[in-house]
Amino acid sequence: MPGRQSRRSVLATIAALPLAGALSACSGGGGSSSTSKTSTTSRKATHITFWSALRGSQEVVDAFNKTHDRVQVDYQQVPSGTQGGYVKLSNAARAGNAPDVATIEYPQVPAYAIDGVARDITGLLSDRLRARLLPQALGLTTFEKRVFSVPLDIEPMVMHYRKDLFRRYGLDVPRTWEEFEETAETVRREGAGRRLALFPTDGFTQFAAYSWQAGAQWFDTAGGAWNVSLADAPTRKVAAYWQRLVDRRLVHMNAVESTQADAQIANGLVLTRLSGAWDAGAQMNARPGQKGQWSIAPLPQWDPARPAVGTHGGSTFAVTKDSKHPEAAMEFIEWQVSHPDALRARLSSGASSQYPAAPELVDIGREAFDRSYYGGQDIYTLFEQEAHKVRDGWIWGPRSSATQKVMQDNFARASGGQGSLLDAVREAQKGTMPDLRALGLATTEHST
Amino acid sequence: MSQPVSRPLAGPLPVSEDTTTPPETTRRVFGSIRAGGASSPGGRTATRASARRRELAAAATLMTPFYVLLVTVFLIPVGTAVWLSFFGDDQPGLGFGPERTVFVGLRSYAAVLTDPTFLGSLGTVVLYCVVYIPLMVIGALALALLLDSGVVRLRSWAQLGLFLPHAVPGIIAALIWLYLYTPGISPVIELFAKADITIDFLGVHTVLPSIVNIALWSNLGYNMVIFYAALQAVPREVIEASVVDGAGPVRTALQVKTPLVSSSIVMVAMFTLIFALQLFTEPVLLSQSSPMINARFSPSMYIYDAAFTRNNYGLAAAASVILLILTVALSYGVTRWTNRANSAEEAAR
Repeated sequence: MPGRQSRRSVLATIAALPLAGALSACSGGGGSSSTSKTSTTSRKATHITFWSALRGSQEVVDAFNKTHDRVQVDYQQVPSGTQGGYVKLSNAARAGNAPDVATIEYPQVPAYAIDGVARDITGLLSDRLRARLLPQALGLTTFEKRVFSVPLDIEPMVMHYRKDLFRRYGLDVPRTWEEFEETAETVRREGAGRRLALFPTDGFTQFAAYSWQAGAQWFDTAGGAWNVSLADAPTRKVAAYWQRLVDRRLVHMNAVESTQADAQIANGLVLTRLSGAWDAGAQMNARPGQKGQWSIAPLPQWDPARPAVGTHGGSTFAVTKDSKHPEAAMEFIEWQVSHPDALRARLSSGASSQYPAAPELVDIGREAFDRSYYGGQDIYTLFEQEAHKVRDGWIWGPRSSATQKVMQDNFARASGGQGSLLDAVREAQKGTMPDLRALGLATTEHST
Repeated sequence: MSQPVSRPLAGPLPVSEDTTTPPETTRRVFGSIRAGGASSPGGRTATRASARRRELAAAATLMTPFYVLLVTVFLIPVGTAVWLSFFGDDQPGLGFGPERTVFVGLRSYAAVLTDPTFLGSLGTVVLYCVVYIPLMVIGALALALLLDSGVVRLRSWAQLGLFLPHAVPGIIAALIWLYLYTPGISPVIELFAKADITIDFLGVHTVLPSIVNIALWSNLGYNMVIFYAALQAVPREVIEASVVDGAGPVRTALQVKTPLVSSSIVMVAMFTLIFALQLFTEPVLLSQSSPMINARFSPSMYIYDAAFTRNNYGLAAAASVILLILTVALSYGVTRWTNRANSAEEAAR
């Protein structure tokens, strides 16, 4: 009797076990997708598909289709990467039906290159296009001398600041991080609940940009291996700096992609936004009522004699492994990143302050951009200066999404008083290494 | 629900244990098939062999759906997971070369087992089990004993009230509790605030108890019904005998009734363990409101994260297989241990 019962129980147990892997079945297509067929012309045209979450993509595609007969683009709007766009792309690639052209942000390019989703396009990249692109931008999508995607924009991190409030409190625009801290003290003392800045708990890309500026090299590919050292000396300096600001309550600390942060900006509780050039346009769209209150300045420096910045944001276009018409896909990409009409079309969709990776287009952006929101400030000239300060040699890791999640989870814990920013960086490294090992990559680990 | 009527009937019925019911049913089904085969029209000409064939055909028809489902939704996915955990699309060095699928041995397993975030998620779920399973088993048993002892008035209403939360899907339950836990919108927190008590249900030390609370709320009634059914099968003579011997209601409940439903206790504990190890829905939903729940909070969440945000199927598959083995081993261990305890007890008698 006990014997029989035991066998039955075990069988019941096995039958009751749901397989965790079965979860994989249910996360297929996220979000509603609207395919738009804008092609009106000849049947002989080669049709390629294009996925993007970037604003203005529909306008760009329409402009392309109007002026091209041989190649026609079918555009599909997808959710932004972290909102499900990357999952959708990975799943489509696994199923063998990825679009011809996919939009990938810089930090994810190595992952998609390693997974074989982004095709090696070195041979398809014309010398003309190569010459047109900012070398720092192309460097971020090139590995082992092979190009895996084409940069659309490069976004140097800048300081957006509340001109009116700076004036009210008699503040000078800080040029160094030291001055930034002093300014933060003044704001805290006199600002009645206001703070100079926000340290975003969901700010992996912001923190990376700070570290990048300070000279960090989180990933290095010397010697044919991924050499990982997230907590290198410059990063430790950056972490200690922000930790001090957090501990002294000189900055807010919460998520930036949140209603809380929206309220902080809308109510003037935060005096600066440290983000990419693109954010100037996003701000115009999000808060038209603050017209005339904002201005843009270079990011504070560690050493003004040797200025450097990192980038925050920016997208690239990849031809996927499933593309049956890689040449046509490349023709569309080249037009999109380097033709004046493409940028004009994108800017026509509304306010955008994207800084193109092809410097020739900067003048187009400057002309098309409505300066009134920023009180006539010529922000494109500022962006141009800053773009040239982007420190060369930064390499994103092979699994940025893993690094990002673990780091942000621990930033959030740090905001709850559990651990420090530096702990978060170290945890992020620990949480990334198993992924790299499981992928069979050659790795070395450096940490102090 | 007419308890007073069913009670006297339940007593004299010669039912030994609730768990013996399934095989009896099975036997009856097969018995009727056999009977049907023998008395079928044309029985004169039908040979033994054809009757037997028909019997087999009937058995096959009845069993096929089960095996089809077992193979398609269990064995094939498990096999795929095992395969994925041992093979990888490898490129040498930095990983930008052409891919080829190779046998990678235990590499994915080594990576999972050296991943502090995975070990952390296991620690979380162990802590969760340690808190949740005793609370669940003791709570459900106590409620069932109370109902059975007749202390509770309006028994059917109490049963309905306790069982109803189980009818609420897990995801809805989590949403309801998310509402009650979130500062700013929760009436509960507001009520506490009025009494000058600040309470953060989603803080570092409170988030696990908060999850336990959701699970208890959802499943307590269900397990109580299982215990209650088992208690119905306890022979009335035994209880009468204990009353005659002078045992009070508490002593009767703890020392007479409880040992007689021990097999149900084991079963409930084991199913609770299995579901607890797969902790997923509640923390995923609560993670939207609490930074204290990260993307790799429980093993199931780790697996989900590995597969879908990190696109690392080898890692996800290895973690799945490890979780599967752990679950089977723990369930087997629980069964073996209780069987041994039972037989030791019988031997002592």
